[in-house]
Amino acid sequence: MTFTEKQTDPTSEMHWLGDMQADYFYPNGIAGDKFFKHLKENDSFLATKCKKCSKVLFPARLYCEDCFTEIPGENWIEVPASGKIRLFTIAKLDAHGEKMKEPKIMALIDIEKTNGSILGVINSNDYEKDFSGVQVQAVLRPKANREGTLKDILYWE
Amino acid sequence: MEEKKKDWPPYAPGTHLRESDIRDKKITYTWWEPEVQYAWSLGPAMSKFLKGLKEGKIYGIHCKRCKRIITPPRMFCEYCYGPTEEWVDLPDTGIIETFSISYLDPDARRIEDPILVGVVDLDGTPPHHGFMHYFGEMTKDEIKIGMKVKAVWKPENEREGSITDIKYFKPYKGGGD
Repeated sequence: MTFTEKQTDPTSEMHWLGDMQADYFYPNGIAGDKFFKHLKENDSFLATKCKKCSKVLFPARLYCEDCFTEIPGENWIEVPASGKIRLFTIAKLDAHGEKMKEPKIMALIDIEKTNGSILGVINSNDYEKDFSGVQVQAVLRPKANREGTLKDILYWE
Repeated sequence: MEEKKKDWPPYAPGTHLRESDIRDKKITYTWWEPEVQYAWSLGPAMSKFLKGLKEGKIYGIHCKRCKRIITPPRMFCEYCYGPTEEWVDLPDTGIIETFSISYLDPDARRIEDPILVGVVDLDGTPPHHGFMHYFGEMTKDEIKIGMKVKAVWKPENEREGSITDIKYFKPYKGGGD
């Protein structure tokens, strides 16, 4: 073996195998907590309306992201779980970079009556269709199975 | 969740979370345990060195430019950065380069009988070339810098390709055992 040869397999020589513990815990915060608890019990979303610039923040936030004004409790509003597709893309690889059996249509959906949007999967296998501007409705898990996470939104159609 | 708890020192504004909030699922959160596996490799030189110990051999490697034998071996010379070549079989004798009398065991517990550790300058290498090990069959009063030592090996069937395949280095008079 000379200096310029490369070995890329660490297991080809004496080695140790191990697992690194790197748990990840992310509490949703005050606004996020309220948002997901609402989603668990209802078929609609929560948003907050800024009094100063009248921007409707979705998902609900305690501070306006534009003017940094604190949003009081009475400014929470319920919005329907529906919206219009702004952008979409067709994903052929999964999170591990493996080819999926069926490509997934992922879209950014502008939520109705708000200035916010959310990423979601479109329940369709029409890969030729132009989805931009299409009106969609969220399909949620049956209420008994909801966890209070984003996974409670199964897909959009 | 608990609102601004002012009596809790040091005071920090905000909403504090308690362990029970998480345990009893009073709050919503994301918990993720990523699978992070690793393989820590010794590389070609150290692998050969440790496999050599299993066979009762101490390997060194030659740097032709610096005309020196390096042990523990490296694939490159850290003096001239040139590649090293030509493996050499080194004797298991040497001198004590430096030592320490330790009243702490490897787990940092206090011990009555000190352990003797230090660097062995192996024979067959230029001065100051060697590795750290234990010293045995000598007392803390007998150990000296420059003392001749010889490796005491584990029985062949107990060796596993580790630096501890040598149990320790014992005093050695030269010539026979």
